[in-house]
Amino acid sequence: MQTRLIVVRVGAWVAIALAGMASIGAAVAQTNAVAMVVAVVVNDKNPVTNVTTAQLRKLFAGEKHAWAGGLTVKLFVRAPGAYERVVLLKLLDMSESEYKRYWTAQVFRGDAQAEPVALFSNGMQKEALIAFPGAVALVNFQDVKGGMKVVKVDGRSPGEAAYPLN
Amino acid sequence: MNYNRTAILLLLVASLSHAQDAVPSQGDRSERDPSEHEMIQQLVQQVKALQEKVAALESQRRVNAPSNTDATSPSVSTPTPQPADNDAPPPFLAQELHELRGFQWQGFGEVDYKVLNQRIPELGTYGFVPGSTGNFYTGDLDLLLTSRISDKASVLAEIVIGEGDAQAYNIDLERMLFNYDYNDHLRVSFGRYQTGIGYYNTAFHGGNWFQTSADRPLVMELSDDGGVLPTQAVGLFSTGSIPSGKLGLNYIAEYGSSDTIRPELNGHGVTDENNGNHTNIGLFVRPDSIPGLQIGGSIYHDRISDFAKGPDIRLGQTIVNGHVVYIWHGVEFLSEGFLIRHAYEHSSRVYNTPAFYAQISKQFHRARPYVRYQYINADQGGILDDVDLPYGPSFGVRYDFTDSIAFKTQLDHTVRKGEPDLNGLHMQLVFKF
Repeated sequence: MQTRLIVVRVGAWVAIALAGMASIGAAVAQTNAVAMVVAVVVNDKNPVTNVTTAQLRKLFAGEKHAWAGGLTVKLFVRAPGAYERVVLLKLLDMSESEYKRYWTAQVFRGDAQAEPVALFSNGMQKEALIAFPGAVALVNFQDVKGGMKVVKVDGRSPGEAAYPLN
Repeated sequence: MNYNRTAILLLLVASLSHAQDAVPSQGDRSERDPSEHEMIQQLVQQVKALQEKVAALESQRRVNAPSNTDATSPSVSTPTPQPADNDAPPPFLAQELHELRGFQWQGFGEVDYKVLNQRIPELGTYGFVPGSTGNFYTGDLDLLLTSRISDKASVLAEIVIGEGDAQAYNIDLERMLFNYDYNDHLRVSFGRYQTGIGYYNTAFHGGNWFQTSADRPLVMELSDDGGVLPTQAVGLFSTGSIPSGKLGLNYIAEYGSSDTIRPELNGHGVTDENNGNHTNIGLFVRPDSIPGLQIGGSIYHDRISDFAKGPDIRLGQTIVNGHVVYIWHGVEFLSEGFLIRHAYEHSSRVYNTPAFYAQISKQFHRARPYVRYQYINADQGGILDDVDLPYGPSFGVRYDFTDSIAFKTQLDHTVRKGEPDLNGLHMQLVFKF
């Protein structure tokens, strides 16, 4: 009788633990789904509020050198391995090798002063965005912090339906 | 979020451990014998506490992040930024940390082997020995220096150490530019540049590393290697975008001195064009609706000399270009047409030289096979009569071993008027450093 009771209790605890883990797993999965949204962020003093996908592509391809007010565009990108980098390459329709070769050519042609600075964390991106008035970067929406201004893409905010940077 | 997940897991593990402690073993049951009712109450309380903690953590996550559970309605209109870290460095320090200073160097090198099926002497360029059936050469060693002076000003210099005859090397300042980017509509450069006649010259300049094929199309060959176009000049030029919405209209305007001296392709001598100042105007569109597409054209005008006909013979040189380029999804399509018109000032004689090339390639993993067809028909009697009528296809493959090392193999078949057809094999190892 006692043994059966112990087995029942342990079984109940295992069931509770499994249910809890499943709940946590679902919550984590939902969190990751949110984390897959990448925001276009600029310095909070930049007056821009919306860009089109085509404009965004030109920005990160180095074809656009200045913002509407004359502010020099300063590109910051994440280093290879980051999800923001994957989204960037998808936006430009390039592989990692093609991206490197493209920027080498941009500098060689004189169309760019240097390849965009690749940063190893979104914290570094945040510092750069605060420091440079013309800065623009792609940041995981979860990591958007004070000093960063989120810009709509094609009129949509991160998380909205049909937002292009997922 | 990792913190939250870890905390929840620790709570569960601790609870399980506590539950195990709470369940007495057979041996010590007589010493600790709580009633079943009390134990159940204790367990229920612990479960409730756990549920409350999970709920609190989930609600905290919702505050920090948007919810996208309902895809039909915008769930996030404005983002809720987290507060800035207090330990962020001051802006001036962050600027220094994220800024490139001083000279930036890049090098581009090549080693070539070329073999032809004819021993008829032809122009030897990049170290290729004319009249030989095949030999190795090192081509151009290209050194690029760039330096940022300010947000809007920068300097670019391209120094080429080129191989000539008998492994003699010369140093050439291919480009030296002071650039000032006022805004997207006005970017001005002063110095020695490569002229914006068409697409190829400004897209690839002298860098064999960047081009898919092992060599430049005949019509786009650099003038000091026998090319028919004035590919380099000293002066100033401006580029920029013209407000045109989704059309993506851009311009290029140049004014400078070309002073072209080109060796004749038959190896018989050199032609000094003794150019005046040239003007070149170009327009091209990059429409938003078709990424990777560029369509444009340019018109170049200059006054040059024909010393072969006399010391004072001058003629007007007009070069019209049209190009269509598409580079997207791994496809590269380049196509350009030219009309080179030489009109003598003291006679009605006009010489027209049409030329074109088309090249298409597609990336397959690391390999990029390509096909090119080119054609030049130089009007006989003019200053380009050494060029005559060469045309024919080229086939090749570029294979990128790494992001910095590539190997190209190219087969050429060139039909020449009055000469035997020329077949060639060109192998090239290119690298950047």
